[in-house]
Amino acid sequence: MIARWSALAALVACACTLGVFVGSSALAPAEVVAALLHPRATSDAATIVWTLRVPRVLGAAFVGAALAMSGVLLQGLLRNPLVDPFLTGVSAGAGAAIAIAVAVGAAAPLIPGIGFAAGLATALFVAFLARRGAGLDAERLILAGVSLSALFGAIVTLVLVRLGRGGGDAVLAWLAGSLANRGYAELFTTVPYAVVGIVCAALAVPSLNAMRLGATVARAVGVDVVRTQWLVLAAATLLAAAAVALAGIVGFVGLIVPHVARRLVGTDARASLCASALLGAALVPLADALARTVARPTEVPLGVVLAFVGVPTFLYLYTKSGGGARLWGT
Amino acid sequence: MGHVSLRNVRLAIGARTLIENIDLDVLPGELIAIVGPNGVGKSTLLRAIAGFDAIASGEIAIDGVAVRTLSGRDRSRAIALATGDADHVYGARVRDVVAAGRFSYRAWWDWTESDDDRKATLVALERVDLAALADRRFESLSSGERQRVWLALALAQDARVVLLDEPTAHLDPRYALDVLCLMRGIARDTTTAFVVLHDLNEAAMIADRVAVFGNGRLLAFAPPGIALDPEILENAYGVAFDRVVVDGAVRVLPRGYRAASIPTGI
Repeated sequence: MIARWSALAALVACACTLGVFVGSSALAPAEVVAALLHPRATSDAATIVWTLRVPRVLGAAFVGAALAMSGVLLQGLLRNPLVDPFLTGVSAGAGAAIAIAVAVGAAAPLIPGIGFAAGLATALFVAFLARRGAGLDAERLILAGVSLSALFGAIVTLVLVRLGRGGGDAVLAWLAGSLANRGYAELFTTVPYAVVGIVCAALAVPSLNAMRLGATVARAVGVDVVRTQWLVLAAATLLAAAAVALAGIVGFVGLIVPHVARRLVGTDARASLCASALLGAALVPLADALARTVARPTEVPLGVVLAFVGVPTFLYLYTKSGGGARLWGT
Repeated sequence: MGHVSLRNVRLAIGARTLIENIDLDVLPGELIAIVGPNGVGKSTLLRAIAGFDAIASGEIAIDGVAVRTLSGRDRSRAIALATGDADHVYGARVRDVVAAGRFSYRAWWDWTESDDDRKATLVALERVDLAALADRRFESLSSGERQRVWLALALAQDARVVLLDEPTAHLDPRYALDVLCLMRGIARDTTTAFVVLHDLNEAAMIADRVAVFGNGRLLAFAPPGIALDPEILENAYGVAFDRVVVDGAVRVLPRGYRAASIPTGI
């Protein structure tokens, strides 16, 4: 087990290092090393490394970890392996709000905040629809999330059609997910919300672990099921909304990473949360490094790279042994 | 301790009354079998004693403290409810399932188990003879082994009252006997046990007293030899019973179809 955790940590370190060494401008490895060693140097290499690549890699690791944690939390709460972080409508609400904001000509710096607020508001509304007593009903949550997402998807389509050719580029950039030109400022405005989410998650995880055995058993052993539901939903929503505000809609990570994490460390909520965070923090910097380099000097959308590389890998993992019948398996 | 009292309890689902006028006084260490036809409210009664659902009226108390006034945490230290219907337990090892019984012994946000928790988990596993399977995955176990896991989970809670809902359902006679013996072992001195059973003879075999429910009320609450009376049982189930004594133990048998009532010419 210790070997697995070390391997996961090493994977994150390697992915992030790689992310600093590659990019659209061809810097020699020696130049990057020199820039890393002398942060205050005024060379082009130092500027590229410290103002472009480092914050971008940090952002990628952050988005990956946040989405993966959001996914594993929601899958655990709803006891459904097909759930992803955007189920609560966070991405659809953010997408629709961003599309409308672009259409009415909102200033670019306002866009992430608008997306974040709309994502949270949508999740709140979905949770409101899914209430049962003081708690939440898993099936209603899924139904409300899927329905509202479809509605907001239609709004995005409508806006794109109305904006016409070329006008929707800024919207599409958000919908496809991208880390281009994200600096420290964007990181500092999104990370605090995710930190609140992580605190909620950490508090709820022991209860979530007992809820693996079903709500009845969890209640019998003293779990406050209602409190756990709201804490986990708040955590998953804050994490997903923070990731969306930074990088737009990066699909796939939040659905797939938890599966791989559970394969590696088991279904214990504590272990699978940590493993998901690490795997996500490795996967997205790797995918982003690819996105920056495969079609240099242009960039491929991050979501596209993740789907092209990740989906076949994931399907291979699952068809190799056991198959879909054991989606929760390790 | 483990003194359980039900005073004039009425159980209802919505506006529909299931059972009313339930008065029970159960002494510490007693093993009480709850029997009655399907849908009479046996599981509802267990959930009410466990404090899961509010009762329509009356009062349920454990050692003089009303169950409804207990916090979730105190409740789960006092009462262990094993329903054994969580068939979707994925990827958890037997040890993990049983360790969940220790949840209320630490702060709810605490990630780590104490040595006491680990010890209690092991002791519970040993009492149901599952220590050798502690690292097996729950879903790889047989029905009989799973029932013993739920028993171990209840034991790990260290509760004064243990409630078991049909722990012998789907078990072959040997596994059923194993579980019945374990239950008899659990109910002693300070631990009181309530067990819902469908097999009346299992009730006769292990229970100190049997509570027979039927027609919306408690029909009998007495030692098996008295409660499992053909007349009371016919009143409860609407089927005639014969009572026989085998080697000094009471056995009740449904009389079955009369020859005349079996359709002929099929």
